[in-house]
Amino acid sequence: MKKIVVPGELVSVERKRLGSNVYVQEGKIYSECLGLVEDASSSASVVCLKGMYVPRDGDLIIGIVKSEKFAGYLIDVNSIYSSFISKKELNEMLKPGTVVSAKVMEVNEMKELVLGSPRVFFGGEVIDVSPVKVPRLIGRDASMLNVLKQGTGCNLIIGKNGRIWVKGGNIPLLLNAIQKIEDEAHLSNLTNKITAFLAEHKDKVKLE
Amino acid sequence: MSEILWELQTDRIVSDLKAGKRLDNRGLNDYRKIEISHDVSENADGCARVKLGKTDVIAGVKFVPGEPYPDMPDEGSISVGVELLALASPDFESGPPRENSIELSRVVDRGVRESKSIDFKKLCIKEGELVWIGFVDLYVLNYDGNLFDACSIAAVAALKKARFPKLDGKKIVKGEYSSEIKLSKIPIMTTFYKVGSSIVMDANLVEEKASNARLSISCSDDKTMCAMQKGGNGSFTPEEVSKCVELALEKSKELRKLL
Amino acid sequence: MKEEENVYVNKHGKRIDNRGIDEIREIKITIGVIPEASGSAYLEWGQNKIYAAVYGPNEFVPKHSSDPLRAQVKFNYRMASFSVPDRKNPKPGRREIEISKVLGEALERTIFLERFPGTQIEVETHIVDSNAGSRVAALTAASVALADAGIPMRSLISACGVGKAGGHLIVDLNKHEEDAPDAVDIPLAVMANSNEVVLLQMDGLISKEEFNEVMQKGLTACQQVYEKQKAVLKEKFLDAEKEVPSKEDLSEEKNDLNGNSKPEAPEAMDSMQGGDLL
Repeated sequence: MKKIVVPGELVSVERKRLGSNVYVQEGKIYSECLGLVEDASSSASVVCLKGMYVPRDGDLIIGIVKSEKFAGYLIDVNSIYSSFISKKELNEMLKPGTVVSAKVMEVNEMKELVLGSPRVFFGGEVIDVSPVKVPRLIGRDASMLNVLKQGTGCNLIIGKNGRIWVKGGNIPLLLNAIQKIEDEAHLSNLTNKITAFLAEHKDKVKLE
Repeated sequence: MSEILWELQTDRIVSDLKAGKRLDNRGLNDYRKIEISHDVSENADGCARVKLGKTDVIAGVKFVPGEPYPDMPDEGSISVGVELLALASPDFESGPPRENSIELSRVVDRGVRESKSIDFKKLCIKEGELVWIGFVDLYVLNYDGNLFDACSIAAVAALKKARFPKLDGKKIVKGEYSSEIKLSKIPIMTTFYKVGSSIVMDANLVEEKASNARLSISCSDDKTMCAMQKGGNGSFTPEEVSKCVELALEKSKELRKLL
Repeated sequence: MKEEENVYVNKHGKRIDNRGIDEIREIKITIGVIPEASGSAYLEWGQNKIYAAVYGPNEFVPKHSSDPLRAQVKFNYRMASFSVPDRKNPKPGRREIEISKVLGEALERTIFLERFPGTQIEVETHIVDSNAGSRVAALTAASVALADAGIPMRSLISACGVGKAGGHLIVDLNKHEEDAPDAVDIPLAVMANSNEVVLLQMDGLISKEEFNEVMQKGLTACQQVYEKQKAVLKEKFLDAEKEVPSKEDLSEEKNDLNGNSKPEAPEAMDSMQGGDLL
């Protein structure tokens, strides 16, 4: 039985380890966001259904080059704070507007991101999705990602920051599937539903 | 003082207040010394200067004959405005009024207006044609906290001394006055500042900077409140509000004697 | 006739619009009405109609005024020129500036501002129709829009007006009641989960006893508003509460919704083959 909570709603009255998106006041645990409660015996946390991208070390993100600085590039990563790739990491010059993927190496206390392991993409498209839905778009052991790839023939890379880079394949079908995942991210058994959805719509949604 | 220094002071003030101690050894509900004088401007139709500790404000009243609003043909009006002069504090800038001075002006204005201590019908000169429009303008000369109470006292003190200019037809006869304005009540505003979990009255600048919420309560007489305003990004519990109401009515009795 | 107009609560305990003294007007909220915004809501509260949108957190403009330790809320309470009986000058007046300030401060209490140093969170509310109580309606809508934007908060903010008309202490005054000769108007807002007061204004003459009594009515009314806010935020997701997940589903949820237990993304990267793409 899952429970949905709004910001400030009680999650647990017991003392527990604090998971994500909860806070304690006078010994009780409350939610910080609109989300689904995960109340286990030892810890309490909330999975947000709405929200922005909060960078963590090790995240793979899709960024767009904003401008060139002396020692590197400023990258737009759909986050509040600026992100930087050092020129040392790159073998080539980047033009503003270039799409790259990179790993978050460090989030400093001013929430400036240091990016590493960049890869430069040529062609393809970038799709925006809600950052809180990204884990479901990837799925356990990348199960959903594989379903999407096989079902649409698209090559895609999903960034934790809510950006998807995609090239080739049946992109209209992919967009429909992504929309369905976003709409039903709070429900269970999603991988099977999407597999069925893709099989059913494969011939209906055509490439242009 | 820079913002960073204020942040540093906050912790100490909060812990001192928890132990019931204020920087200047006042009790939590004690006001600083209040001095009221009236020799500000001979051109004003009524004026006052109020010093609340080192906070210093002047108020002047001017009456202008004008046309009444069509929906209230037999009523004049009085409005209060506060300007935070750039000379009073490094925090204040010259230029158009900012939200701080707009809020202050409107709260002081409501404290006077809602007390209904001035009968706007008595400001009528000729129904539908001519009424007195009164302006109470306040200027802050030195800012050492609690402008709300200082401005409110100054506005009322100036109004108490105000006189209507003598009229020749529709024109004012300079330097001559016809009659005094009558205040049926003396509205008093008291402002509470929440610093950490403590609540103090008449905060000085350091306490005000350390506070995160403020509650101003205007009382029109010993038993009646007439206006209220909560400000700041903190909060009050309902019990704290109730206690402030109690204290405001009590304190206003004391302050009313000064006017 | 005139006497009849001045009866604010009749002998059946009903008000001019047939409400009881503790009854709030009907509230309807719709979420996500402004897709461009990070979060949004449309709220009807009696005749009041309000759009609220949240943008941010974004980098503070101008940069030199940013607070290096926390985010700042920029609240904008604006009224459309046609939202009142006489045309209103569309330029924001002093009333709107003051209301914007106190409503922004009320929201700042609930948002975890220190998580977003140096940023601004813009909250825009636009009143398109009004009939007393537009500021509490705007704050109620703004709070829902913030939750829709996923901005971390200690609590929803729930607001309601209370006051007095014709000698009666009443909840959620309409314009007719607000214009009563003895009217007292008290816009009130609380953190819904603790009843901490974050907005409190008053004008009109009232005794201590009456004030304390009407505050209690206000706290109760705010909880009723809270129930509406909660219901509308959860509405879209209720089917998740109903379904009984299988064991397999649960383990899936744990891994993929948490998002930080498995290195999915790098794996996704590795499984991406084809040098022509990169």
